[in-house]
Amino acid sequence: MEIEFGLEDLAKYPFLKEAGDYVKELNLSVDNLCQEDYRPAVERAKQRVIEAIQKNYISSETSEPIVELLSFPLALILVRAINVEYIIHRYSLAESIRSERFLKKEKKSIISYIFKSTFNVELISLQHELFDFKINLSEYLKRATYFHQPEWKLINRIVENGFVYLKTFELVRLIREEIRRMIYERMKSASLPSMPKYLKETLDEISKVLPTIPVDKIHRVAPENFPPCIIHMLNLLKKGQNVSHYGRFLLTTYLLSIGKTVEDIIDTYPKSPDFNERMTRYQVEHIAGMRGGRRRYKVPSCRTIATHSLCFKDKNLCAKLRSPLQFSKKPSFHKKSNTNS
Amino acid sequence: MIIMNERTLAFIKQAFKEYYFKNAEKIIAPIRIKEREFGYISFDKIMIRHLSFQNEGDLRAFFIKEIPRSIYYSCAYYYEPTLTMDKKGWNGADLIFDIDADHIPTKCKKEHDYWICKDCNLIDKGKRPDKCPKCEGMRIDKENWVCHSCLEATKDEVIKLIDFLLEDFSISRENCKIHFSGSRGYHVTVEQSDLEELDQLARNEISDYISGIGLSLESLGISKRVSYEKMHRILPLATEFGWRGRIGKFFSEMDFDNYGNNDIRDKIIFFHDKMKYKNFDNFIREIVEKLSVKIDAMVTTDIHRIFRLPNTLHGSTGMIKKSCKDLLSFNPLIDAVVLSEEPLKIFVDHSPIFTLNGNLFGPYKSEIVNLPIMTAVYLIGKGVAEVY
Repeated sequence: MEIEFGLEDLAKYPFLKEAGDYVKELNLSVDNLCQEDYRPAVERAKQRVIEAIQKNYISSETSEPIVELLSFPLALILVRAINVEYIIHRYSLAESIRSERFLKKEKKSIISYIFKSTFNVELISLQHELFDFKINLSEYLKRATYFHQPEWKLINRIVENGFVYLKTFELVRLIREEIRRMIYERMKSASLPSMPKYLKETLDEISKVLPTIPVDKIHRVAPENFPPCIIHMLNLLKKGQNVSHYGRFLLTTYLLSIGKTVEDIIDTYPKSPDFNERMTRYQVEHIAGMRGGRRRYKVPSCRTIATHSLCFKDKNLCAKLRSPLQFSKKPSFHKKSNTNS
Repeated sequence: MIIMNERTLAFIKQAFKEYYFKNAEKIIAPIRIKEREFGYISFDKIMIRHLSFQNEGDLRAFFIKEIPRSIYYSCAYYYEPTLTMDKKGWNGADLIFDIDADHIPTKCKKEHDYWICKDCNLIDKGKRPDKCPKCEGMRIDKENWVCHSCLEATKDEVIKLIDFLLEDFSISRENCKIHFSGSRGYHVTVEQSDLEELDQLARNEISDYISGIGLSLESLGISKRVSYEKMHRILPLATEFGWRGRIGKFFSEMDFDNYGNNDIRDKIIFFHDKMKYKNFDNFIREIVEKLSVKIDAMVTTDIHRIFRLPNTLHGSTGMIKKSCKDLLSFNPLIDAVVLSEEPLKIFVDHSPIFTLNGNLFGPYKSEIVNLPIMTAVYLIGKGVAEVY
């Protein structure tokens, strides 16, 4: 099935190969794009990036499709030039959410075409009261396991003859992460062209709105105040040594209890060659009660930690403690901290 | 439990050797043999892994040379099966289900399952207590046996599983291989399907689907916040697919008094109204429990696991892992028994009544008996007998 995309379609979905080809055929260099005629595209690119940074949202502007389309590669260059991992992530997410908004309202034939041509996923359109498409079971599972809500569990879907039934908005949500990753990879792999003056000035303007990334804002316990068992685990990880399954469980429950996010905890684990982010995420989320039985696991007691030979008790600071969480709350601890300060 | 002495071990090895010498041609290579990891347990009780065979001939020659006590192959396909786990390069895995008699509650268990106190050697039948009533020791072993009745219950689970695989997942019947494991249950192996590329998390979903874990009432159209009128439009019907269809069918086939209407949705609402949300929720959970399959989730979600090779002897029973061409007529305690019927004198510490190859044996209690080799190997493998 061949579909002829109009300029407006390409502006909605600038990550498509067809959109890239269209821009390429215009044969415009970055210098050309900074000329007077194309300034609206640079302006829109700036707006795209700022919206993404400030609101995690990019508006659905399509009144001038060519401006909208050309602003996309320019925005990628700007974000690439900022070269802050956090911003690259945030921008790619905002772009994917923007495309998701359009896709939700899109014609079924276009959705099917994009899924096939871009993601190599065959969709079957349904004439059904409640569902719009069915998707191959294995294609569904590869993506749906990223979601935690019960409605994404296979058992809560209609499964028939190797296919899973979905409404359009669900299908589009399922693919959003891939759109994000595509845009992210594109920025990461692109080499940065030499920047014309106008683009540099635009970049300076964007830099003014760059946030200072909040560090440890919500974390009630600073790392130097962690109990000895936790410090021991963190040191082992730092040295690249193995931490037992129970040790990882202890570390994860502790960090969750002091307000660290799942992302923070995943970052705590070293990225060794066999590091599997997906599996680590699954386990951390499981402990956080976001998966499976939805039970949030508590930090084990000092006695249990000792049973697993993971207690590295500080005679003075840990005396009479029953849980590692009491460590930083202990009066003697504060006394010590006060004296030190 | 009797620790196997050298004479007994030598006897078992001889019995296995004779079998493999006569039946080497029955050993069939799994598909894509070159990509599989093999492992075996020798008669010295050593587990050797990371082996690979190029073809069926090499595999058969290995049996004649090594006489393995148990031999296994990986569900996974690897680029380099002989390297260590992190260097093998995973390239998909068959989807495998294990249904074990131990996981299915049956009445016969209290007749043939024992528990043994490791401290004072007290043995008794029935459910394993938390502590020994005699010495109050906590180290208590279980010793489970199987009979026709619990293996039939296991088979019923296999039949339910096949329905899920064929109807819901559209797996072709030829790609679903059913084997009696050689001991207490069945393995169902799905080969050559696009599910082979799924990772552990995706297999977890498949396992939960089949085990009935996580089904929400909302997915059946039942909600506290919705009027009965609206609910009526979205409740399941018997003609639907998947779990909704299963639940719909259950209600349509359910007989109960005081209700003449045959409309399934009316029936569901009637129950919901009568029981109120919480009890109704429990009622649905009971239905799901009945309709789900008692698979071992650990097995299905392990994408590196090794499984006993079909047509080879189970090291603890002397029966073979046997393909079930016709599941309904398959009788594991006859069809998987392959060792000789020549008599042998053995000492049996204890055993309940059991059947093997159509013959009734036991119960035995600290006695010397003349038994066919197939039965002797079975009892020795259980750890309750030795060559006299």
